[in-house]
Amino acid sequence: MTSSTGPGADERAGAFTSALSAADFAACLALGLEPIGLVQGLCAMQSTSFGRGVFSLATPMAPSGGYLANYPCPHGFVTGEHRPFGQNYEQTWLGHAWRDGYGTARTRLVDAARALGADGVVGVVEAETALADSGVLEFSLRGTAVRVAPGGLGTAEPFTTYLSGQRLAKAFEAGLAPVSIVGSFVSVRVWASCVTEFLLGGSPLQTWSSPSGPVEIDQLADAHARGRELVRDDARAQLRGGHLRAARLEIVERELGPGDIEIQARLRGNSLRPVGEAVALATPQPTLRLS
Amino acid sequence: MSDPRPVPPDLPALVRAALSTTEDGARGAPTTSDLSIDEELSLHALAWEPVALTTGYAVVAVPAGAWQWGQGEIDVASSAHERAFTQALRRLESDVARTGAHGVVGVSIEREVAPSHIAVAVMGTAVRPRGAGARKGTPFVTDLSARDFARLVASGWEPLGLATGASFVYAPRRSIGTALAQQSQNVELTNFTDALYGARERAVERLQRSAMSYQGAGIVEVKLEEGPLRFASHAVGFAAWGTVVRLAGDQHLPMSPTLVVSLDDETRAFEAQTLE
Repeated sequence: MTSSTGPGADERAGAFTSALSAADFAACLALGLEPIGLVQGLCAMQSTSFGRGVFSLATPMAPSGGYLANYPCPHGFVTGEHRPFGQNYEQTWLGHAWRDGYGTARTRLVDAARALGADGVVGVVEAETALADSGVLEFSLRGTAVRVAPGGLGTAEPFTTYLSGQRLAKAFEAGLAPVSIVGSFVSVRVWASCVTEFLLGGSPLQTWSSPSGPVEIDQLADAHARGRELVRDDARAQLRGGHLRAARLEIVERELGPGDIEIQARLRGNSLRPVGEAVALATPQPTLRLS
Repeated sequence: MSDPRPVPPDLPALVRAALSTTEDGARGAPTTSDLSIDEELSLHALAWEPVALTTGYAVVAVPAGAWQWGQGEIDVASSAHERAFTQALRRLESDVARTGAHGVVGVSIEREVAPSHIAVAVMGTAVRPRGAGARKGTPFVTDLSARDFARLVASGWEPLGLATGASFVYAPRRSIGTALAQQSQNVELTNFTDALYGARERAVERLQRSAMSYQGAGIVEVKLEEGPLRFASHAVGFAAWGTVVRLAGDQHLPMSPTLVVSLDDETRAFEAQTLE
């Protein structure tokens, strides 16, 4: 490589910065992409319920607007303490806050890259930190802004991707071009019905030798299924003509109190769009390494 | 001697062309996948493609008192486990079938055995031969990675489904006399060993029965989880699962791998910190 096409060759004012490892840096250059600078997108987002807001005092009939399902008590009135019904509801305000925070951080990352004249951002690293007890969630996205050497393409909307190095090179070889990073979050609250609470609590009065065998806890299973479905639907809506690749779906179940459960679903990945015709790669050669 | 290596593509030209075009190459509905790019390329070389990220979940109640002292197998726990596993797989299968895929690979399995319930969560990427229509019958389910799936298929085999088997048993109580006599000795707790063997026998028998229900030739990559339960140390659990396979064609296709010897030596770096 000659100095005239080297990274930052025309950045007379200073050296380029990058968060790439040496191996990823080499792969990046092999792709004809030159690093310009380390860019970041930050957003601190407050939501009433990330910490100890009013909504964390969960009650049935919480305002929702998203997924809502009722699980009525089959027993009729028993005692004042007996729950008349249970509910599963999407905590839409949490989902909105998360997606706003993530989306804003992503927009700022892209803006910072555009300001540098980049065609894209590779090797995005993400951190999501809850500031203790303040109800604030901080989103931090950082990556290395790159442009097509020499000079760049002058892209209006630089791409972003979690991939870098050889993984990114292989994606290009397979006919996929990066569009954007994608992230989504859905929170479903389970306010257990009397039956669900009874099954979850393992009541000593429970007579279980029913002829139908083991009893499923439908309300909890429904909440898990809907949480996963909603987060996938939301991510799919962000793809902008691409396909979601190298994604990761994480599920966290938290018990907030007796019969009060929150299910969080987080999905992150890369939107990649196919370019050109799909060409089958050569069949990989099986090898056996002798030590 | 001819060089078997393929000609490396002109990557910079490829990247420039890919990023310059604004033409939307996306065909059909957007697809989703949690396969790594490497795994996707393994499928790509096999002319298969990912279709959708699919999931299944089930949770089954275990009655109170189930884990307390008793004898023999804890039937309610074993059947709750079986129910949770099969229901989660059935939901995964119907999720896969909805996408028109032929099967699901790289399935991750998370089990939670709690005092009051047993939950099973499964997730994987639904796949199909590139451009193929919907498959007739139940889609296959495998926890093999896409790379291992590709190797299996290249060897002339096909996955059929996930076989499972589990058993929970009580470790029989020792008599007070035995417990006292053994207190100051190094001694095998035969009651515990026997309980583990008992659980193992039942679980593996169920695993095999489950494999036979798929009409498979055998199971590969059997995973085992065994041991006392966190919340009931006098009860032991044994669970096993693996991918049921059978020959797709007439015979096994040998792979004959190329032998390679790495010329790299372990890097011997000078560490300045050691001087401090």
